[in-house]
Amino acid sequence: MKLQTSRRLAGFTLGETLVTLSLSSIILGAAITSGVSLQKSFNAVDNYFSTHIQQIRIIDYLNRDVQRGLVVTTSVDLQTVTMTVPNYIIQAGDPEAVTNPALVGTPRTPTVSYTTSGLQVNYGTTTTNVVYSISGNAILRTENGTVTTIASSTDQLVPTTTDVELTNTEYTASAVTFMPIFVSAGSVAERTGTSVYETAYLRNKRRG
Amino acid sequence: MRTLNRRLDGANVLLTVLCTILVVSVIGASVLMNSVTRYNTASSQVRGWKESLYAAESGGDVAYAEVRKTILDPTNAFSGWTYSGGVHTKSALTFGQDNLTTGASVDVFYYDTNGSPWYRIRSKGTAPVLGLKRVTMDDRMGPVTRGDSLLRKIDFNYDHFIATYGPNGDGTGKALVPVSAPQITRRIELVAAPITPFEAAIKCVGTFYGLGDAAMIDSYSSANGAYYFCANNPSDPHFSDSRSGNVEIDSAVASIRGMLYGNVATNGGTIVRSSQITGTIDNNVPFTLPPFKLPTTFGLPQSSPTKVTGNTTITPPAAGTAQTPIFYLLSSFTGNLTVQPFGTSPTYVDLHVTNDITGTVDVAQNVRLRIFFDGNITMKARDMVNESGNAANLQFYGISPTDPNATQSINISPPGNFAATFYAPSANFTLNGNPDITGAIVCKTFYGNGNTSWHYDRKLDTEGDAVDYRIVSYVEDIR
Repeated sequence: MKLQTSRRLAGFTLGETLVTLSLSSIILGAAITSGVSLQKSFNAVDNYFSTHIQQIRIIDYLNRDVQRGLVVTTSVDLQTVTMTVPNYIIQAGDPEAVTNPALVGTPRTPTVSYTTSGLQVNYGTTTTNVVYSISGNAILRTENGTVTTIASSTDQLVPTTTDVELTNTEYTASAVTFMPIFVSAGSVAERTGTSVYETAYLRNKRRG
Repeated sequence: MRTLNRRLDGANVLLTVLCTILVVSVIGASVLMNSVTRYNTASSQVRGWKESLYAAESGGDVAYAEVRKTILDPTNAFSGWTYSGGVHTKSALTFGQDNLTTGASVDVFYYDTNGSPWYRIRSKGTAPVLGLKRVTMDDRMGPVTRGDSLLRKIDFNYDHFIATYGPNGDGTGKALVPVSAPQITRRIELVAAPITPFEAAIKCVGTFYGLGDAAMIDSYSSANGAYYFCANNPSDPHFSDSRSGNVEIDSAVASIRGMLYGNVATNGGTIVRSSQITGTIDNNVPFTLPPFKLPTTFGLPQSSPTKVTGNTTITPPAAGTAQTPIFYLLSSFTGNLTVQPFGTSPTYVDLHVTNDITGTVDVAQNVRLRIFFDGNITMKARDMVNESGNAANLQFYGISPTDPNATQSINISPPGNFAATFYAPSANFTLNGNPDITGAIVCKTFYGNGNTSWHYDRKLDTEGDAVDYRIVSYVEDIR
């Protein structure tokens, strides 16, 4: 019996196979590299957005407390902000609460006193101390000793605040930066490029 | 035998392509979902948080405008507001293209020694939160710490504030109040305090020139006794009261001369610090002085005198009080007036002069005299005799002309010294000579060319009826 020869069943030549394998490897390599890069890029964007949201949160916290503050001071390195705000809500242990525990959690009625700088509105006899500071990767807000982490990121979030005093008021100018994952133009430039700025004025007459 | 020829190679390629697209799509979709959630936060929740404060402050401004009307336009103050239990309430109103809502309430919480009320303004502003009805994925900062929702409290289904603290935040009236759509509400409390007429040694809205090169402005407090100079002695117990000889000018045209122990403020001026000014200098302090109107609280005038053309002595039939003084209406004041107390009691007298003042006045000890005038003043410094030496006991008030283009004039010429105050926001004030002055002046423009020694009494900043209101306190209920 004689086998019928069919040209349609012919295999690839060695050369064809090598060329195909080479091309396939290149295409597969490119696809994998692209995929990894794409994933990295997506991850970087996602991370950038996440940290950016935390920047805004820091700014909003600072803004809220400065506006209702009575006096603000900043440290020499501009990374610690200390402010005094009125004691608007009666807390447990306050003199009014000792006399009448039902007052805990209620707003105080303001009082007026005459001081060397003129008439002054007070909420209670004491004030609340609020401090913003950096601890490792976390940004902390400490209110009368109670610490709250308001932002935390491995992207090295750094808020800086300057405090400018005017005749009766003052304002703070803050900038929050972080170090994004992708750095190409040098770390300083990359950090500067992430800056979010805010300026907040005291609504109250500055004390001190 | 024939070998079956299979042509399925193309399907493998298609499958590979589809899988690749699927993987990339899944990656992209997950990233997109995360990003959209965060975008939702950034664009909607953050915006709602900020806009709700804008709304609350707008409500505060609306209420503040009504408080100002209690002096500037009493007839229409709180018109359209409801009043119950001592509280004026403005129902919620919606405004702006983002449908912000605000409402406010106003009540009096304090009366000062002049009888002027201090108002507490409570305002809340609400902004809708658009987008997905969820908190953000950035919310959890740690095992027990929240992130965004600890700062920005969003009412998704119920008003959390009313549910937890009650509508007034005092724990009463707690209720589950559904909200029609997610929203953020912020609440602020403001205090509007009366502005007293004499807050500075000199205050003018127009041009300022003065004083002489050898002049001096300092301050003291009559609560500590008579004036003596101590502005250069930090160890003096009254040093802290000696450097409030402030000058406030709502104009860029200001020539400050002489030694000034106090602060200087202008509106766009170019005053620079020098050894002649000991306090702060702020060239960006605009302010307004509303026209002064005759108070509506006067009772019926005494029957006599009705004019002062010769030598006239007023001895009132009663002592009166700071809030209800004995009132006289004078059509002319060209003579010599002496005002005596009622017995030994502190006596309070008000005059309304409907014409110019060109005469002299002598205010005895134990008398506080306020002179309201419609016309102009032309006097010599020696013709204002204030026997107590306390400037608060001789107060002049210039009633602003109904024609806003009309200007009053006050001309004080030598010789002599005086202790008095002038509140005349529509008057051009001219001070000639070198008088020794204890008091304060509020005017439209000021010109003084003499080497005057001017002593502002810090106690004056609590004297006189309110002429306007300002916001002096701001707190936010952050719960």
